[in-house]
Amino acid sequence: MTDYGHDLLFGAFVTPSATAGAELAVVADRAGLDLVTFQDHPYVARFHDTWTLLSYAAARTTRIKLAANVLNLPLRQPAVIARSHATLDRLSGGRIELGLGAGAFWDGVEAMGGRRLTAGQSIDALGEAIDIIRQVWDTSTPGPVRASGAYYDVSGAKRGPAPAHAMSIWLGAYKPRMLRLAGRAADGVVPSLSYLPGGINDYADLNRHIDEAAEAAARPPAAVRRLLNINGTFSDFGRSFLDGPAEQWAEDLAGVALDHGVSAFILASDNPADLELFAAEVAPAVRDLVAAERA
Amino acid sequence: MLHRLEFGALVTGAGAAVEAERRGLDLVAVQGDGAWTRLSWIAGVTERIGLVAQIDLAEHAPAVLARSAASLDLLTGGRVTLALADEPGTAEAVEIVRNVLDAGEPRPYRHLGEHYRVPQAQRGPLPAHRIAIWLTGADARSVRLAGRTAEGWIGTPDELAATGKLLDEAAAEVGREAAEIRRVVILDPRAASASEPGAADLFELSVAALLPLVVEHGAGTFLLRTDDPDELRRFAELREVVLRELPEPPPAPIKPAAVRAKRRPGIDYDNVPASLAATAVEPGDLDYARVRSTYMRGGAPGLVLRPRSTGEVADALAFVRAHPGVPFGLRSGGHGMSGRSTNDGGIVLSVQALDTMEVLDAAERLVRIGPGARWADVARFLMPYGWALSSGDYGGVGVSGLATAGGVGWLAREHGLTIDHLRAVKMVLADGSVVRASDDENPDLFWAVRGAGANFGVVTSFDFQVDEVGDVGFAQLVVAADDPADLLVRWGRAIEAAPRTLSGQLIMGPPRPGQPAFAQLMAVVDAADPSVIVDTLQPLAQLAPLYNQNVVLTPYAGIVNNAAEGYHSGQGDPVSRSGLIEHLTPAFAKAAAELIASGAVHWFQIRTVGGAVADIPPAATAYAHRSANFSIVAMGSSERRVDAAFAPLRSHFDGMYLSFETGLDHVADAFPPPTLARLRELKRRYDPAGLFRDNFALGDQS
Ligand SMILES: Cc1cc2nc3c(=O)[nH]c(=O)nc-3n(C[C@H](O)[C@H](O)[C@H](O)COP(=O)(O)OP(=O)(O)OC[C@H]3O[C@@H](n4cnc5c(N)ncnc54)[C@H](O)[C@@H]3O)c2cc1C
Repeated sequence: MTDYGHDLLFGAFVTPSATAGAELAVVADRAGLDLVTFQDHPYVARFHDTWTLLSYAAARTTRIKLAANVLNLPLRQPAVIARSHATLDRLSGGRIELGLGAGAFWDGVEAMGGRRLTAGQSIDALGEAIDIIRQVWDTSTPGPVRASGAYYDVSGAKRGPAPAHAMSIWLGAYKPRMLRLAGRAADGVVPSLSYLPGGINDYADLNRHIDEAAEAAARPPAAVRRLLNINGTFSDFGRSFLDGPAEQWAEDLAGVALDHGVSAFILASDNPADLELFAAEVAPAVRDLVAAERA
Repeated sequence: MLHRLEFGALVTGAGAAVEAERRGLDLVAVQGDGAWTRLSWIAGVTERIGLVAQIDLAEHAPAVLARSAASLDLLTGGRVTLALADEPGTAEAVEIVRNVLDAGEPRPYRHLGEHYRVPQAQRGPLPAHRIAIWLTGADARSVRLAGRTAEGWIGTPDELAATGKLLDEAAAEVGREAAEIRRVVILDPRAASASEPGAADLFELSVAALLPLVVEHGAGTFLLRTDDPDELRRFAELREVVLRELPEPPPAPIKPAAVRAKRRPGIDYDNVPASLAATAVEPGDLDYARVRSTYMRGGAPGLVLRPRSTGEVADALAFVRAHPGVPFGLRSGGHGMSGRSTNDGGIVLSVQALDTMEVLDAAERLVRIGPGARWADVARFLMPYGWALSSGDYGGVGVSGLATAGGVGWLAREHGLTIDHLRAVKMVLADGSVVRASDDENPDLFWAVRGAGANFGVVTSFDFQVDEVGDVGFAQLVVAADDPADLLVRWGRAIEAAPRTLSGQLIMGPPRPGQPAFAQLMAVVDAADPSVIVDTLQPLAQLAPLYNQNVVLTPYAGIVNNAAEGYHSGQGDPVSRSGLIEHLTPAFAKAAAELIASGAVHWFQIRTVGGAVADIPPAATAYAHRSANFSIVAMGSSERRVDAAFAPLRSHFDGMYLSFETGLDHVADAFPPPTLARLRELKRRYDPAGLFRDNFALGDQS
């Protein structure tokens, strides 16, 4: 059993297309999910701008937390990301978290005028960005932001606004170097199950890298929340992992929570009925199963 | 007065924005840190008010900003305006934003400038309305930039007084009219300058303070800088007074110079009939992206007319008659293959707005359907009555493109073609006259409309007698096709032996290396009893090993509920060949298998006809090839290759259904000699000048 002791979160991972994206956020809010997230691919014209959609959706919801899953750093600026998140966090009463990615689809990034980085460079850039973001948010330290790195130079930028709550930075992370950055500097990781080549058991490796890096940086591993984007099918008869009735989903996810310490499950679906079922039947059952085991 | 006056508030908080909307102000603007985020939030907590954000370009890459703006515009149904400060790079940014928003341009956007590099951005999304860009800056350079490129200029009253002339001059230099640029005046009740209307002036002298700005300097929008609820209330009251005292009607919208510059030769844009001007679309209009292309073809028409009534259709045809040398296409759902419902530089008449549906006589199951409805809409409309009208297999197809040609659908063998349900039409003829055609009125025309309707006029309503149809079985099977010829023969026999309650189709594609050959079989069985459905399908399921099967019990509307949303963005020009055939003989099947194996076609499809279709005598309608049991279509991309590969099939055919044919020289295949002779005679009578020519035009050789 691996357990970092976090409360469980259940969320939605929604395609940022058309107005449906905003409507699904409202559905998720009403259904009682904890979190609604949108992917961010600014080079794809048919998607909505994730930040705009997220801001709009935040205004149309009352309770649910919102985050990008994950924001494309190469086409955005760290200080702007920090300020806009803080602004929206204040407007929404502390409902915003920051999902951040080093970037992928470099052809798309370059086509829009972003700079192409190697995987390694992009992780270094992300590390610099996290530092800048935390400095901008930190209005209790006097003086301007100090950051002149290899990728960003924003020394002298003013600090603030500070978010309304201690905002988490979650990274889209899979590979050791990125996981080490998360262990060192982030508050969570949010990989997608479908991108784990070995399936859910790969999470043990993810945890190992994160935990080691956290400890090396003198942070408790529990400082890094383990999230997971999932996809599956609700069907009448159980067939396989996350393909079956709600009770089976609950068993499957409780197992993941207890085996790997994953404490947030974000369902990729644009189907309101799936999101409602996930909130109404899966989430409470997983919570019960995990609570029973933790007790 | 250049514009309809607008009154707004320049606010910092969302609460003030909500208050501004509640008080009836026209717009709300934000500037400063996090302006875009705050505006997006405000968009979410308001419903109606216009939204302006002043963007700091240091924080927003223009290409990403364009997408952000389009997103918010779509989310809010077209409420967004962008304001930019004039900085180095603003001119480039304006250009980038405009071009990325121009989603109708098929090619990616490339801009390699001094300040920005956008190597090849995808364009879009298409916003809900044309997003105006306003520029700030009172120095001569900024004002000139606004005059040349922006939809608005923002400044203080003093600045407006000082720069108005320059703005007009800069606009005139590039052929723009002064009215293309809205003058936006920021009123600051706390402004220091004594010469500007301060709070006292503004609210005590009210109209007197604003009038000179409007009358002498062309101010169109006033933005009061305040979050104070009381000031917002008083400003809204002032708005009421000013609008009352300036009763001039809003000036007619003008086409921006940038749009006029894209006009095509030969079209008399300035004389588009008044009834159509407001809905017409030309290159450069925002809606152009939505109307230029069709499902199958990329197009670039010079003008799209969108009448909303039969009278307006007549107006449109008068305009078309005045343009004899200009290509002319008629469009409903835009799925034409034979019908050239888009073109290059010509006129398109779209009947899409004529999409009403009503029941005329419930006992007779008589319905009246507008030509612009889509078949998915029709099916949904009929469903609650327990009725259906067999149309085609795709719900996005338009009513009038299909119902003037034939209509080979999911219930064809049981209930016949779509045109077999037609009882009367209303149409506008080439000379602009409006007539009804039925068995009793203009029977010649009614005969011609059912199979060759596109040659005779614009149908503006269809009266159909529809069928009682409950839930049906819909099967999709994927079967092995190791021996395609053998499969075709046996599928053909199974179909001919099947009861009329079964109609269906077969689809095959070119062989793919390393993959087994397969065929897709689809069928509808009009029966509600699952065991009857399964029994009826059995002969098809036994034809070959099944790779996949899916059978559902569904309302008819569920089968054609497959229309893609959004607008067409077809590219290129498809090549499609078709034929009608009585039996799938071994000789035909062998030729067809060779065609499929040739790789020259990427799509080979056979739909079932026969049954009730063949009950109607060939002379009864212009669609005459009634004896066929099968309708065949093959699509590819190279005309030469497709024709070569398709040639061996032709000797087996007995005519052709024109809707699946892109080769317009096959008129003689579409209509047998007696039909063709009668059609030509009628064409001479009803359309001697050949106005209707986009779909198997009947030439005048006798
Ligand atoms: C994906 C797809 C599936 C199809 N499946 C079937 C099928 O199963 N069965 C079948 O029978 N056909 C089928 N078709 C063919 C289709 O019926 C024809 O292409 C039809 O013309 C499309 O109608 P539309 O209104 O969508 O097209 P449009 O392109 O809008 O119109 C096509 C032509 O119809 C004529 N026309 C349009 N409106 C009027 C009017 N008001 N008065 C007179 N003439 C008019 C014009 O000549 C015009 O060029 C299919 C086509 C596609 C693309």
